Amino acid sequence: MMPKLDIEPGSSNAYHTGDWRTRQPVYRNKWPPCSQTCPASEDIQAWLALATERQWQAAWRKLTERNPFPATMGRICYHACESACNRKHLDSAVNIHAMERYLGDMAILRGWDHKSSRGTPQAQRVAIVGAGPAGLSCAFQLARRGYPVTIFDAQAAPGGTLNSAIPDYRLPKSVLAKEIDAILALGIELRLNSRVGKEISEDDLRDEFDAVFLAIGTQQPRPYQYDNRPNGDKSSHSVMSGLEFLHRLNRGEPMPLPKHIAVVGGGNTAIDVARCIRRLGAEVTVICAQDSHGNHHRELGTEMPASLQEVIEAETEGVQLIYRAGVRRLVRSGEHLSGIEIAHVDQVYDRHGNFNPVLFDGTEEFVPAGLAIFAIGQEADWQGLERLSQATESDGVWLGGDAVGKSKLAATAVGSGYQAAMSIMARLKGEPFVFDAHKKAQITFRQMPLHYYPKQPRHEGEISEQRLDGFKEVVKGLADDDAAREAKRCLSCGVCFRCDNCWHFCPDAAVIKTTAGYEIDYDYCKGCGICAQECPCGHIDMDLDPASARTYSAQVLDP
Amino acid sequence: MKKLLEGSQAVAEAVSLCRPQVVAAYPITPQTHIIERLAQQVANGELEAEFINAESEFGAASIVLGAVAAGARAFTATASQGLLLMTEVLYNIAGLRLPVVMVCANRAVGAPINIFSDHQDSMALRDSGWIQLYVESNQEAADSMIQAYRIAEACELPVMVCMDGFFLTHTFEPVDLPIQAAVDDFLPPFHFARALDPSRPMTLGGASEADNYQEYRSAQQAAMEDAQPVIEAFDAEFDDQFGRAHGGLLQAYRLDEAQTVLLGMGSLMGAVRDVVDKLRDQGQAVGALRLRCFRPFPAQALAQYLSGAQRIIVLEKAISIGAGGIVAAELRAALHQAGIMTPVESVIGGLGGRDLTPEVIEAVFQETTQDEAGATFRFAPDHVTPDEPVREDCS
Amino acid sequence: MDKRDTFRHNVLTSGHRACSGCGEAMAARMVTDLIGPDAIYINATGCLQVFTTHNQQSAWQAPWIHSVFANAAAVASGVEAALRAKGKDTPVVVQAGDGGTFDIGLQCLSGMIERGHDVLFVCYDNEAYMNTGVQRSSSTPHAVRTTTSPPGRLSQGKHHLKKDVISIIAAHHMPYAATATIAYFPDLKAKVEKAMRIQGPRFLQILSPCPLGWAHDSALSVTVSRLAVETGLFPLVELEHGELIGVMRLAEQKPVEEYLRPQGRFKHLFGTKTGAVELRHLQALADARIRRYGLLDADTQWDTARAMQSARHGRGGYASSMPASEEVKNDA
Repeated sequence: MMPKLDIEPGSSNAYHTGDWRTRQPVYRNKWPPCSQTCPASEDIQAWLALATERQWQAAWRKLTERNPFPATMGRICYHACESACNRKHLDSAVNIHAMERYLGDMAILRGWDHKSSRGTPQAQRVAIVGAGPAGLSCAFQLARRGYPVTIFDAQAAPGGTLNSAIPDYRLPKSVLAKEIDAILALGIELRLNSRVGKEISEDDLRDEFDAVFLAIGTQQPRPYQYDNRPNGDKSSHSVMSGLEFLHRLNRGEPMPLPKHIAVVGGGNTAIDVARCIRRLGAEVTVICAQDSHGNHHRELGTEMPASLQEVIEAETEGVQLIYRAGVRRLVRSGEHLSGIEIAHVDQVYDRHGNFNPVLFDGTEEFVPAGLAIFAIGQEADWQGLERLSQATESDGVWLGGDAVGKSKLAATAVGSGYQAAMSIMARLKGEPFVFDAHKKAQITFRQMPLHYYPKQPRHEGEISEQRLDGFKEVVKGLADDDAAREAKRCLSCGVCFRCDNCWHFCPDAAVIKTTAGYEIDYDYCKGCGICAQECPCGHIDMDLDPASARTYSAQVLDP
Repeated sequence: MKKLLEGSQAVAEAVSLCRPQVVAAYPITPQTHIIERLAQQVANGELEAEFINAESEFGAASIVLGAVAAGARAFTATASQGLLLMTEVLYNIAGLRLPVVMVCANRAVGAPINIFSDHQDSMALRDSGWIQLYVESNQEAADSMIQAYRIAEACELPVMVCMDGFFLTHTFEPVDLPIQAAVDDFLPPFHFARALDPSRPMTLGGASEADNYQEYRSAQQAAMEDAQPVIEAFDAEFDDQFGRAHGGLLQAYRLDEAQTVLLGMGSLMGAVRDVVDKLRDQGQAVGALRLRCFRPFPAQALAQYLSGAQRIIVLEKAISIGAGGIVAAELRAALHQAGIMTPVESVIGGLGGRDLTPEVIEAVFQETTQDEAGATFRFAPDHVTPDEPVREDCS
Repeated sequence: MDKRDTFRHNVLTSGHRACSGCGEAMAARMVTDLIGPDAIYINATGCLQVFTTHNQQSAWQAPWIHSVFANAAAVASGVEAALRAKGKDTPVVVQAGDGGTFDIGLQCLSGMIERGHDVLFVCYDNEAYMNTGVQRSSSTPHAVRTTTSPPGRLSQGKHHLKKDVISIIAAHHMPYAATATIAYFPDLKAKVEKAMRIQGPRFLQILSPCPLGWAHDSALSVTVSRLAVETGLFPLVELEHGELIGVMRLAEQKPVEEYLRPQGRFKHLFGTKTGAVELRHLQALADARIRRYGLLDADTQWDTARAMQSARHGRGGYASSMPASEEVKNDA
């Protein structure tokens, strides 16, 4: 006799609880604020993630997809990314620029070269005017994709402003040169000392090339007028532009160096100039129309544009700063300058948003200075490009870099070059161009349960003790061990880093872990929302479930 | 070889011969001597079993439930209040179709609290899905333990061996205990196909709903019906092997040509047989029928045995308060269904340990047709035995 | 058998009928996958039993038995005794709710512990009788609204305090007794694994939020369980043989209001004077528990901040066999 129960339970897998759902979780990559803010649109999260695995070369390749100047930008970029970093709401921002520099330096040290992406070589030729960051970035992207590129530059060396106006203590010339060499090694033709309108005509450019990218930068100081003397007055030994000062310094030309020097301006160039002056042994006062950092009206945009880090370092080096001050007049003793009369600035910008300081009478002060350096901005020099500058993309001419737009960061130029390259390629292929389609929804720290992340101090590069002793680099790179640790500080905002939370916390075993990541088994997901709630990086969205939306509307329509 | 054993000892020895792997119990009079003996056997190393001192009868029943579900042969024993405390679990054991074997040392149920014997306790469990065997003697109690495991494991139904408290549990009789090898021969090792085992994961005791709950009950009922021939067959097989049988479902005594049949359960049947002998000697056509197996209720066998009777008296030691005799009521239903319209006299007596002496039983027989019109039962007359000394309490 | 996930067994698989966001389903899924399918599970009556075996569809991919409400510990005693008699060392695990532990099941549990059965008893504590529609249990905290402790003109919810069951259990000279909750998976994992290495009776009380009974958003089950710990209302402790051997230190004590606010069962306390008294009482209870267990100053590396930390590539997974590693030390 075999007694047996007639009914034995089957598996609950036969019952699909997914029907209960009204909302459904969806894994969705977000665009972290660092990348959102990065003018070069680097996928910072992605290359930091590779760095956490110590996959240094892969991290460098990921980075250089957007920016072929990591060693350079890691040094000189004012890293808006770090100001936007969500981690500052936990402890302090990830040291992105130090990581960027670390990877760039490693690439130089180990001699990594850029690889052309696979694909057939292209026949259509592109001319680029200007071998600065925008032009080189554009050339890099095009050359990697098989386009023959020729760059024309009026100067004797490539690099544009990076080469001519960045002091050595911030960017050693050799670093820039090596990164440029690596870019040119992709097969880019570089014609130096070739100014359009002189060595090559606009028509030749149009005839020989299928596309022209104008990235001429801003090589001309914005005019300043005091005592009714235009800045073109070269007779004055006691007044010059910041750009001229930096050019001459970088070229090693002798310059007058009185005991006291005044620098007018609140931007990074002003600070660069001031710090160079300290290295040359003179006292320097920066006269800045805007407010200092931290004592600002950020909403009104009156914070000085120079980077906070640069200002702090400048102050450490003995640079004097006077805020909310404008130049009333230059005080001369004969031809020689004895100082500058300044006055309190009430309003920095006029109602059109233009820099137009209003000075209050009766607030005048005297700042002694034997040399006044005006670092109040620079402009593009369109001489010789009069016709091309009026052309449009439909004419096969693109404009980019510092010469257009307002922002004057080197990374902006890099991003601009990338964008131009993409646009040019799309046009040459006859495809529609949508810039950065990969950009996704942004993510803020409010969407991220930050308690899932341990607090960890930020790693910094060491600061040189003998900083004023010449123009040696002030900030050293990250130590090897610190680099991986610093990369791990990245919160991976909006991008899954496989912490397993969704997998652990799903009450319904509806999150399936795979070797590639996670999948939601919608047959069983009840849509409770715990996975989205507890995802540290905000990678999971709760969307309205399409099936339940249909059911709901059907119920409404069919009472 | 016969030994003079207390009923509790005899049962304990027989249980021991069945090689239970887990014994769990909570002490209650008059069950205690059974489990004390088993505890001692385990302590002496004579019985290789886990002896679990439960924290209550509820726990004890649950422990044997778990043990059998895990594939071990198990034993427990209780009585009275303890049985009622087990009730929820006993229903559950039956519903899970676990072949648990237990002894109920039948005792009255409070209040008022009373430690002496009647059948009120096990009768309360009649609907729980347990096979119930009511034994008459210590020898039958011992033999029935061995049969009970065989029946339970073959039918996947739990078996309750009901033996009268004190009358059997505390009374010494010569008992013939089989040798171990013979018991091993009769009772194969326990193999439970639905045992909890990671190599064959199975869900036992899940929730069910209206669309399948009834199927469980109908399967239980079918198993109970199927158990009747099994109980008879194993008693016959036992007879073949050990030379003793206990009637299977029913045990008849001098039923030949009997016009009056006295029907009862358990130890009182010894006295009933004495009365039958006496009345037969006086020329009365009287016989006795012992209902050994109350669950499953052997309706057809009863009808066969009683088809020729003109008077049927059911003597029972339990009452369904508000209705009357329980066995009698079921018997009436069975006979009615079989087309036998002989009236069944229901007599309730022996409650709370009161003696059902031959005199009382004879008096019951003599109370012919004294029932009031419409009465479904009567209580047995009091025994008046002034010439006998009053028995001492055994608490 | 469901083999959808190659990284864990899913002892408690999909298709069960727990409410959306059920803390008990989550806790049970974690615990049973940490222990694995090579164990015998005994379930008391309750939500878990009902929603996992509803209508002849079982979510269990391991041997599992349910008998009645009160007797899970006794059934487990029997299973364990049977295994011992048969010379097997399959782990035996009881799962019960707070009713089956604190109230109706306490006697059998006490007996099981006293007799030293080698059984892990896991109590999924959701602080009321949820299966029958949210009635108060002896685990229901003070001032909570349930259907049998309703707030009214004369009532601010449950009058009495939550039973301190872990102390009762520990007083049995219990080899191992610990509290845990779903929010801290590494802690839960460490405790389950530790419990599985210890012989004899072991007890885990796992706070398992119930979106229905606690009346919080289904997405907040983990969050409220975390806040229960961070406020001090539910201390995470470990006791061996009755001695406190480890606590989860609070990196920061949060005010109880942060825990109470998202839960509808405390809603009646807000905005009335009498409610305010109960809020102060609840805060005082939290403070007292913090003092009692030294939750702010305990000398332990393990604290609420560390235990939360998520890491790249997982916070520890589920092993098919129990690893001997001590990757997370509670009392380091």
